[in-house]
Amino acid sequence: MKPQMITLHINGRTHYVALNPNQTLLVALRDLGYTDVKCGCEKGDCGACAVFLNGVAVNSCLVLAGQADEGEILTAAGLGTSEHPHPLQTAFSDAGAIQCGYCTPGMIVSAKALLDHKPHPTDTEIRDAISGNLCRCTGYAQIIQAVQSAAEKMDAGGEG
Amino acid sequence: MENKNFQVVGQITPRKDGVARVTGQEKYTVDTTLPRMLYGRTVCSPYAHARIKSVDTSAAEAMGAVVLTFKDIPPIRYNERIITVEWALHKDHYILADKVRRMGEPVVAVAAETEELAEKAARAVKVEYEPLPVLIDPREAMKPGAAPLYDTVMYGDKEIKIENNIACTREVIEGDVDKAFAESDVFVEGTFKTHKIYHAQMEPKSVLCRPEPDGGITVWATTQSIHNTRIVLGQIFDIPLSKINVKRMAVGGTFGSSIQMNSVVPIGVALALKARRPVRLTLTREEDMHDHGRFGTDAHIKIGAKKDGTLTGVEMEMIADLGAHIIQGYSFLGVSIGWVVSLYRLPNVRYKGVGVYTNKAPGCAMQGYGNPQATLAVESLLDELAEKLGMDPLELRLKNYVGLGMTFWGQGPMVRSIVWSDGVPELLGKGQELIGWDKRESPDTKSGRFRRGIGLGRGFHTTSAGAPQPGDVIDFSGALVKVNQDGSVDVVTAMVDHGGGTWEAIAKLVAETLCVPLDKVNVVPSDTFSTVYDVCTHATRGTYAGGGAAVKVAEQVKKEIFETAAHYMNVQPDALKLRMDHEQGQAVIYVPSIPDRKMTLKQLASRTWSESWKTIAAVDSYRPTNCPPAYVTIFLEIEVDTWTGTVRTLRTALGVDCGTVVNPDGAIGQLEGGLSRGLGMALYEDNEWNDQGQLLSKGYWVDAKTPGIMETPALQDLNTHFADTYEPTGPLGAKGIGEAALNPVPAAYANAIYNAIGIRFYELPITPEKILGALMEQENMVKEGVH
Repeated sequence: MKPQMITLHINGRTHYVALNPNQTLLVALRDLGYTDVKCGCEKGDCGACAVFLNGVAVNSCLVLAGQADEGEILTAAGLGTSEHPHPLQTAFSDAGAIQCGYCTPGMIVSAKALLDHKPHPTDTEIRDAISGNLCRCTGYAQIIQAVQSAAEKMDAGGEG
Repeated sequence: MENKNFQVVGQITPRKDGVARVTGQEKYTVDTTLPRMLYGRTVCSPYAHARIKSVDTSAAEAMGAVVLTFKDIPPIRYNERIITVEWALHKDHYILADKVRRMGEPVVAVAAETEELAEKAARAVKVEYEPLPVLIDPREAMKPGAAPLYDTVMYGDKEIKIENNIACTREVIEGDVDKAFAESDVFVEGTFKTHKIYHAQMEPKSVLCRPEPDGGITVWATTQSIHNTRIVLGQIFDIPLSKINVKRMAVGGTFGSSIQMNSVVPIGVALALKARRPVRLTLTREEDMHDHGRFGTDAHIKIGAKKDGTLTGVEMEMIADLGAHIIQGYSFLGVSIGWVVSLYRLPNVRYKGVGVYTNKAPGCAMQGYGNPQATLAVESLLDELAEKLGMDPLELRLKNYVGLGMTFWGQGPMVRSIVWSDGVPELLGKGQELIGWDKRESPDTKSGRFRRGIGLGRGFHTTSAGAPQPGDVIDFSGALVKVNQDGSVDVVTAMVDHGGGTWEAIAKLVAETLCVPLDKVNVVPSDTFSTVYDVCTHATRGTYAGGGAAVKVAEQVKKEIFETAAHYMNVQPDALKLRMDHEQGQAVIYVPSIPDRKMTLKQLASRTWSESWKTIAAVDSYRPTNCPPAYVTIFLEIEVDTWTGTVRTLRTALGVDCGTVVNPDGAIGQLEGGLSRGLGMALYEDNEWNDQGQLLSKGYWVDAKTPGIMETPALQDLNTHFADTYEPTGPLGAKGIGEAALNPVPAAYANAIYNAIGIRFYELPITPEKILGALMEQENMVKEGVH
């Protein structure tokens, strides 16, 4: 197996990397230092590794890095900064929606994927959107509240 | 004593580590890397029980991998959990297997330049096994002639023989059960079974170890106790503790799974010491599922009562499925009866617990540590008793529960204290009202496809394992608190936060005590070098014991602030007071009777610094002398679909008496999270093994049935509430929540299902298959006219 050169545009930065064809996008991202992309199961069960690939939320453990060649990748860390967090990030932090925080980046990616298409989601739509993300700590209620609250704030502020 | 005019405690504030967690900047062990780091992998047994005949590592070595086999490790048997004192500690575990006793047991370990090369090298290792009979059922394992998992294990420093795979037994006798039963009017009894389920913590367990030039090691590890990890590593590798530094990390949830030094930790350390390079080793999800689980239990329990509902005594026999290693089986046997007798006044007790080895994942602490299992049995039997006596189950509970002024010994026979705060009547009353308990109808009034039921589970967890005397459990914490030159405060603690907000609680308690605004109090990163001992974040003790230590030390700092400020202000120290000044963002030291005599903490600390005087700081240990019960009541309304056997949660009233509520939003999260995990335990989760010791989930998380978001009840029907109490032995009146939030949940489901369909289940999980099977049986009995 020979490494292949691929190009990944991650959170606005371009990386040229040589990777084996069997390397997953998850491992590639984490090796490049994007450890906000969490490794939970590497089987597509938990959603902790969710990222945007060309605008679509995917489990990065189920995508080969080669499939993402020339792709635009957006991770939770790329959504906002400590000074200017994304409204979803603020809402998760304020609504008690984080405990251990390990599922949080993936949750926020799934939630943003929902709000991108449905700025006023119903409770059922929120549950559908998050159903691929596992959280063992919170029991999910405060996560639903956080998404609702972010949707309201984004609507009022015209953000996102 | 009691002061509820708090400025910080009890306020909803943005979590200090929130921004780091939502933006993905928080670093967990698995995210940590070092220059020139090697990647570790283990060669895991494909058999659940086997002798290792030969190991050939030449192909792996030819690839350039560093290889570790049984011959390379220190020949020391250890117990990875040293919360239990040495004299009560069984040790049966080597770093790598001398013999395989469970699926996935590490036999050989390798380290290589890349993860891929490490995987290739691990696959190139040839191990020849001689498979042995696999024992999955503890009752089979106990039979004479069953294949022994062990010949001997260490107990303290003695080697003891293991017979019939019985690792340990524990008996407790109090009062006279025979006499009590002879004087009883009515009895309830049942055999309750619970299974080994998987912790399903989100973060995979990991370790990173760097060998140091002086022969020491620095260790980043997924753990609930940095000091205990250090002590066990020191014992195994014979390195002075002064050369072992274990870093306190953010932890991606544990639910008990990292109460011990995890199995990967000494393997990673041994690889790093052999390679003389940093090594990181992380379990895959499948390896993790084989690594630990909840203790399975099989308990027969009989309770006697008088006609008026007064309980007289309890007889209990329990078999605990320990799995392949004994991590904390002896303590588990002790607490299992402790939970029972601390739920209700049962003055006469006869108990025997037996811990049995099987070829499955080792049992370790999992939220509640035997308490949900015990509470399922007791709360189910209390409902049965209430029905027999024609009493309201609520009234029966109020009559018998262990409450204010009574002796409480949840954490085993040697950990006893008095109950000083008791919100049970308030919790029951509020839950009764919220759920509409008084409109609850009996099961025989219900028919049709969808049948609704209301159920109650009442429980508690000990807050810490503190007691007036030392016992078989170590329990104390410590803290260092120092005032910085700008009036801000560093809190240095070894206490780990699993995610529940323990650090946030500690920061709030210190801010409140020193009247420093919360944004200027920081629980700083720490390690074993910079902290005094803390036993472990377990036993619902984070806020109570860790926070207790921080408040004790903060009080000492406060005294020093006054003594130091008194010099500058030319007043008596006792005349000084502290208040929080939000405008200045400072603590202000003042004299109430002389309005202009005041200075900010910043002014004080800045002067003690610039005048080369001192740092205002203190460090101390704190041993709780009590283990107050955090009481929880769970009222549920559920709906059983009698066509599919599925159970839907319609409404809840989740109540906790945690004393002073320190983090209200966090406390609600604890209750809701407890409901979710308890629901999983009650209805779905079962990490099942086949008769060859293979996991049926094959390492797939969804097949282990961890609850997802769809199981969460509608938000408007998910009620939570707090009792208005103040724990006099706790920091600013606080107790814990953690485990208490889950403990009564499975019982509440069992009771609600009974109320819906009139069928009582004695074995978890209560799956749709079991419900449908029981409904069919019920129908057949009706057809055949059996009553």
